[in-house]
Amino acid sequence: MRHRPRRLKNANAEAAQFRLRAALGFAAVLLGLAGLAGWYFKLQVLDHADYATRSEANRIKPRPVVPGRGLIYDRKGRLLADNVPAYRLDVVLDEAGDGKRLIASLSRIIALSPDEIARFEDERKASRGFRAITLKLRVSDEEAARFAVDRWRYPGVELVPYLSRVYPYGDLFAHVIGYVARIDQKDLDTLGQASTPFTHAGKTGLERYYESALRGEPGFQRIETNVDGRALRTLGTVPATPGADLRLSVDLDLQRAMVAAFGELEGSAVAIDPRTGEILAMVSLPAYDPNLFVNGISHADFDRLNTNPSRPQFNRLVLGGVAPGSTIKPLTALAGLDSGLRTPSDRVLSTGMFRLPGMRGRGWGDSHRGGHGWTDLRKSIADSVNTYYYRLALDLGVERYDRYMAKYGFGHPTGIDLMGEIDGIVPSPESKLKYGKERWYPGDLVNSAIGQGLWKVTPLQLARGTAALADQGILRRPHLVAAQRNGFGAPWQAVPQPAAVRISDDPRHVRAVQEGMEMTVNGPGGTARMIAIGAPYRMAGKTGTAQVVNRSTYAVDPKSLPMHRRHRALFIGYAPAEAPTIAVAVAVEGGGYGAATAAPIARKVFDAWLTGKMPEADPDAIDVSPVVPGATPAPATTALRRDAGDAARRATPGAANRPAASTAPPIATAASPLAAGAASSPRPPAPAPR
Amino acid sequence: MNPILRWLLDLLARFTRTLDPWLCAALAGLMLVGLAVLYSAGNESRGLVLAQGARYGLGCAAMWALSRTSPLRLRNASPLVFAASLLPLVLVLFIGTGRHGQHWINLGVFYFQPSEVLKLSLPMMLAWYLNRQPLPPRLLTVLAAAGMIALPFGLILLQPDFGTGMLVAASGVFALFLAGLSWWWFVAAVGGVAAAAPAAWFWMLRPYQKDRILTFLDPETDPLGTGWNIIQSKIAIGAGGMTGKGWGQGTQSHLDYLPEHTTDFIFAVLSEEFGWVGVAVVLGLYLFVIGRCLWIASEARDGFSRLLAGTLGLSMFVYVIVNGGMISGLLPVVGVPMPLLSYGGTYSVALLAGLGMVMAVRPQKHGR
Repeated sequence: MRHRPRRLKNANAEAAQFRLRAALGFAAVLLGLAGLAGWYFKLQVLDHADYATRSEANRIKPRPVVPGRGLIYDRKGRLLADNVPAYRLDVVLDEAGDGKRLIASLSRIIALSPDEIARFEDERKASRGFRAITLKLRVSDEEAARFAVDRWRYPGVELVPYLSRVYPYGDLFAHVIGYVARIDQKDLDTLGQASTPFTHAGKTGLERYYESALRGEPGFQRIETNVDGRALRTLGTVPATPGADLRLSVDLDLQRAMVAAFGELEGSAVAIDPRTGEILAMVSLPAYDPNLFVNGISHADFDRLNTNPSRPQFNRLVLGGVAPGSTIKPLTALAGLDSGLRTPSDRVLSTGMFRLPGMRGRGWGDSHRGGHGWTDLRKSIADSVNTYYYRLALDLGVERYDRYMAKYGFGHPTGIDLMGEIDGIVPSPESKLKYGKERWYPGDLVNSAIGQGLWKVTPLQLARGTAALADQGILRRPHLVAAQRNGFGAPWQAVPQPAAVRISDDPRHVRAVQEGMEMTVNGPGGTARMIAIGAPYRMAGKTGTAQVVNRSTYAVDPKSLPMHRRHRALFIGYAPAEAPTIAVAVAVEGGGYGAATAAPIARKVFDAWLTGKMPEADPDAIDVSPVVPGATPAPATTALRRDAGDAARRATPGAANRPAASTAPPIATAASPLAAGAASSPRPPAPAPR
Repeated sequence: MNPILRWLLDLLARFTRTLDPWLCAALAGLMLVGLAVLYSAGNESRGLVLAQGARYGLGCAAMWALSRTSPLRLRNASPLVFAASLLPLVLVLFIGTGRHGQHWINLGVFYFQPSEVLKLSLPMMLAWYLNRQPLPPRLLTVLAAAGMIALPFGLILLQPDFGTGMLVAASGVFALFLAGLSWWWFVAAVGGVAAAAPAAWFWMLRPYQKDRILTFLDPETDPLGTGWNIIQSKIAIGAGGMTGKGWGQGTQSHLDYLPEHTTDFIFAVLSEEFGWVGVAVVLGLYLFVIGRCLWIASEARDGFSRLLAGTLGLSMFVYVIVNGGMISGLLPVVGVPMPLLSYGGTYSVALLAGLGMVMAVRPQKHGR
């Protein structure tokens, strides 16, 4: 600076320059603030609608209001499926902190099973932190009390009240009502996203079939929430529609009687009111305790159910197909009459051996080695004369025969209000090719005529056909739910049923078959005549034996097989014969001949329904006492009927609850057609010799 | 007229003689709006309003005191004030506290933010220095001034506090601009920043600062993370509409969707509750305050006064444009408060004190 002369300040010029720069600066400020105001104008005025919507979406969250599930009553108004208040333990991870430590310290006051912990861990990984995860459903009162004391230790852990499903009669209605369980992805896929608010969904039985009616419609509360999702106030409510209550046609007492009538046997039975199609009782044994599933079944219980060879979870009534055996004969006879090929008095000579015309070799037998002699329609039913039906089926031909069988309700579902009912199979060249991978021989028709071979019918289909015979040939849809009401105060409304179908044009034809069935029980040679002893009413029926034959059982000692794979004893019947109010089908697994085991069960059911007399078995031993609400459904409540059966055996030693097989002399003749050459072997009837 | 009344009025006039009525009116308006919005944003908390009111009181006292100081004294004190203000700035690096660095010194009674003082002392220093040099500034002058700016700027960046550092540096640049800095410097500066930006990105910026910039570029990429603030703030502003949801009715702030709604994002609360009308009124008040400062500067009699008042006035613009732009997604998120609206002590007092200095250089009308 020294070498350069100091430039003098020019005050006026500097002031002028400052003014210029200040003016420029102000212009820039003006421009900047105007630009900012313009930008805010765009946000606030031009794009206002968009941001206003997002602001509302921010703060207002719809919260579902879950309605109470509909209740299920029996025909006399007794509660079969109830909701009880229960507590579940919910955890909000964001507030609860370290999950592992939480579990460790919680399990000191609340019993947590490894299953529950594993499930919690899975959900923890998949879920956002601020959503509540259910750690344990159904916390016991004691645990709840313990938790309440220590609650301050567990931020983010909450006891949430909810309604838990309880089946007071345990396994008694397992295969009728089914059960609900925690909803899963599969349920959401099939039931739709509308189910999202629900914690439980029907899995099987009526709970599943009537899921949408039972669960009701969830309502919504519009909740103002802050950024943490905490609800601050309710802005409005769309009330939930409570689930519809169902009233079944099933009768609790008859259901109990039916289970008791089986004693320790396995199998299934169904009783229908032939006048309406209403199902009065329906059991598939062994059963299981549906309460086990409601709040998550333990691995141990699940394994026990799954490894039981008798398959307690398998509903034999609608899923289990068997050959109808001789119980198909009354309907085959009806087909003969309706087709005009037979009159009730037409007679056929039974010689004990039947051969296809023009063929030699082994033939088809009658149950009497020497034959039954001249046989008309009534006798053919009462005495179960095979030859009569061999002949008849050949005269009808397979196509016409199948047409009649389809008309009588076989080969397609009955339409009962349960899920997954099978079609069944009526033997035909097509079905044999499809299921047996073999071509059709004329002898197959002979087998079919007596209900053996490729047949597959459900006990329900048999009961339905029987009901039709009992009610002048009118085929109805069997159904479990008689009425429905939308809310507690609402009136019961009958569930509409499809129109009944008349399967026979001539009442005299049906009457003739009915007479044959009455003679089965009441006639001198009737196959089930021992069940009529002491009955104050008149019954009609038909016995049968279904051979369970396939490659795996072909050469095996039948006694080594599980019961459900041995031959089934069948009985169909109705009572009172003059004006039937109940029709039944009974299938006893491994029961030998129908007359020996199945028919006595039917008699006990008739007794219970018509005279109110309960079977002699001690009802307590079969554990149909209501489950105490509030108690955790534990293995202790005898989930499996197997256990109950054991108890029954212990409680009533001897023959008290044994089927009549041991008390009544086995006069009844087998309805099973035994191939002449293999009278005592379990071989199937040989295919027609060529 | 009643002599006592006359005497009282006379006394009042004597006390308020140095205050600029126009500026005072505009500032009072801003402070009232600020307290009203704060009351709503703080969930109707009276304590928050009282605390902020006390700070305004303190700031107004400082403003009043400084307005009575003669420009000559201010000028003479400038180098000393500047040197003294650098001391706590160094100190804060060692004993400071803060969320993202060492920003505050705990004085027991309150937290003191040394960098705020630089917003006053640096303009003073530059005005003092530039006034001694012939203007427009020569190269050497500019370099010396740049050194004076760089020293506190560097210290503040070390804390690190980019927002305040930028405000301080901006005030220095305004001083040079008003002093008549050649336009070539601005051209060169823009080029230099463009060249330095990549380097700054890779070596200088902290991860949280990079996050802010990335989020600014596209807030929707991380709607629940760093983008949340901007998205929620824009929702609050946009939901306000033309006339707003009404005082105390802003859901974004009351339900905590809007972050930092009493400090950096308070203008979004104002936007939500008072709409564009409220925004325009407040921006108009700011424009008036800045314009008035520049007017006073232009009327001032000496170079120091001109430069000081002009620089302080323009500095306010940076606050407004950076804060207003940041919360509406125009600019990256930088921790800059909205003058006299955002809750905060040191900056409010510093701001009002600065305006006091502006009033001090106002040419006094003689007589009464």
